[in-house]
Amino acid sequence: MHHKPLSVRLAGYASAAAFVLIVSLAVLPARGALGTAPIALLLLIPVGLSTALWGLGPGLVAAFIAFLSFNYLFITPYYTFLVHLPSDLVILVIFLIVAMVMSQLVGRAQAGREAAAAREREATQLYELSTALAGLRDPEAIGRVLVTQVQNNLGAEVTELALRSPMAVTLRLPQEARHPDRLPDLAVPLQATETALGELRLWRPTPPVSESEQRLARTYAAQGALALERASLGHAEARAHVLEESDRFKSALLSSVSHELRTPLATIKAAASSLRGGQVGWDSPARVELLAAIDDEADHLNILVGNLLDMSRIESGALRPQRQWNVLTEIVERVLDRMRHALGVHQLEVDIPPELPLLPVDFVQMEQVFTNLVSNSAKYAPPGTAIRISAGVRDPAEVLVEVSNRGPHVPEEHLERIFDKFYRITAADRVTGTGLGLSICKGIIEAHGGRIWAVNLEDGFAFRFALPLTLDGAAPLAPRPEIETP
Amino acid sequence: MSSAPHVLVIDDEPQIGRALRAILTEKNFRVTTAARGEEGLSLAAANPPDIVILDLGLPDMDGFEVCARLREWTHVPIIVLSVRDSERDKVAALDKGADDYLTKPFSVEELLARVRVALRHAAREQGAPASVVHAGQLTIDLGWHVVTRAGSEVKLTATEFNLLAYLASNPGRVLTHQSILTHVWGPADAEHTEYLRVYMRQLRKKLEENPERPRHLLTEPGVGYRFLADGEG
Repeated sequence: MHHKPLSVRLAGYASAAAFVLIVSLAVLPARGALGTAPIALLLLIPVGLSTALWGLGPGLVAAFIAFLSFNYLFITPYYTFLVHLPSDLVILVIFLIVAMVMSQLVGRAQAGREAAAAREREATQLYELSTALAGLRDPEAIGRVLVTQVQNNLGAEVTELALRSPMAVTLRLPQEARHPDRLPDLAVPLQATETALGELRLWRPTPPVSESEQRLARTYAAQGALALERASLGHAEARAHVLEESDRFKSALLSSVSHELRTPLATIKAAASSLRGGQVGWDSPARVELLAAIDDEADHLNILVGNLLDMSRIESGALRPQRQWNVLTEIVERVLDRMRHALGVHQLEVDIPPELPLLPVDFVQMEQVFTNLVSNSAKYAPPGTAIRISAGVRDPAEVLVEVSNRGPHVPEEHLERIFDKFYRITAADRVTGTGLGLSICKGIIEAHGGRIWAVNLEDGFAFRFALPLTLDGAAPLAPRPEIETP
Repeated sequence: MSSAPHVLVIDDEPQIGRALRAILTEKNFRVTTAARGEEGLSLAAANPPDIVILDLGLPDMDGFEVCARLREWTHVPIIVLSVRDSERDKVAALDKGADDYLTKPFSVEELLARVRVALRHAAREQGAPASVVHAGQLTIDLGWHVVTRAGSEVKLTATEFNLLAYLASNPGRVLTHQSILTHVWGPADAEHTEYLRVYMRQLRKKLEENPERPRHLLTEPGVGYRFLADGEG
């Protein structure tokens, strides 16, 4: 076998020679009793076995040594290489021919078996490599698999994979090994369709690298190049997909927002210009109306801008709640306080038990959630009816909050989709809104580790959300109890 | 104050500068505006203002630095202007010595109220520190540790009193969670906002007419608390 080291091969020759000599010496005492023919047959045994055990070369050596020792020890006159009897000469010649032919035949069969085993091993290794590479999308991970396989299967001392830019990394095994001083014993490029992606180099304790090993290394390199190419195509595709999505999002946002921004702006412009132009008398009740309109619409614009900011943060994954222990009532009261004016035609009811535990939430983001849920409720609920906010601990680990109204039912099939971006059940021109409010609520609640959904009630409609009661797995610490001093 | 109070507005947005100048001049303030941090600092040094209104987003240096540099030599009240969702910035500005903040967009009433409160407390600070604080029906005697509501004494625990005393001795100022916790509970508990929530709830129950809509012990979302005497908010 080509890639057996020299020492192993030498050991094979030595063993074969020793084997023949031992058998010869063992048979020696019986040389008087047995004829030359049986002894010749006995000596064929080590020749055959040596070939089977150590290969063709040692087999031939065994055959030749057997021939010599047969002649020297067993054919009269003993201890010479002379032959007296013609029959002995015939036996000797036949012995030599048989030994040679037999060792050739056995050796070839053996070599064939070993070649088959080697091919099978190669196939298994390639199969292992392609399985290990399948599904990898990270160039560095692919490189690591490749280097490991080459290092283990090609008996390398040091294996190195230099990937060109854009990856531009060099992977080396064993990791603590330094770059060897000499040129690599084998260097194979990783050839992709258009360019070389890098180079695979290996150093071995005993060169040379056989042809079959070179072939194997080239196959490895080709497999690696394929995997790298597939990975970069996958990346490009994913990027293109994200870009396309974000493009679609942006154009939907623009069309929705420009309409939505213009409405309050138009009101503000009309009111401000009529006040400025002096069309409205100082004592006219219209004056108060117009000023209130400007104020309200400015607030409306502010909520809108807040939603846009939140939406872009949610889209880019930058919405990170600053969770702190907060009192839910405080958040709700603040929202209602601010919205009371805009919610003139609805009654507001708050039913939050005073013993409700502290919630680990971002105050400002939760304000936005309630603002959006309440203003959405106000859009659909009939004037004069109540919008109700209630909360309670549902199980030890969760608080359930409900914002309900007496508005119309939402068809069951829309219940989930109302939290999608830009989703509206009614025609866009009938109800104002960007279609962002509810999806922002969803984004914020989910960033808090909670869930939000909507349900139809017997006499109305409700948003519900559940939030965890722990922050990083812990409940709020209770301060040490104290006694009031008189 | 004998003459009209002097307001220095440091904001790089000309519209804001213009609007503030118009509003404040109308209310009998003397207004100086600066569009840059350095300009604001030198104007403040040349002609010390009675109050500074400072935008946190300036082109040449950040507002925190302006705060810190002003605090090197003056106790002038500083009100910072900031936007929603920048609670960290607000806390940082307060830590650097700002007294109060306003979230853009703000109403004129809000702005004027904050300015008046800041001026009143600045004037008071120049005299001896008040040992008795009045706020509506509440009287807080900081020296004798006695709190009365509508004439009758309110029983407080030691921590409740310390918390109230710290807030009441800084009326009108926004105190950050961290500064309150450090001051009342000690540095080891500086992150335990939950203590503050529990005690604030207790205090409001004892002192406020409507604990759900407090008038004196106000929450500043994501930032801290503020104590207001009556008629200031």
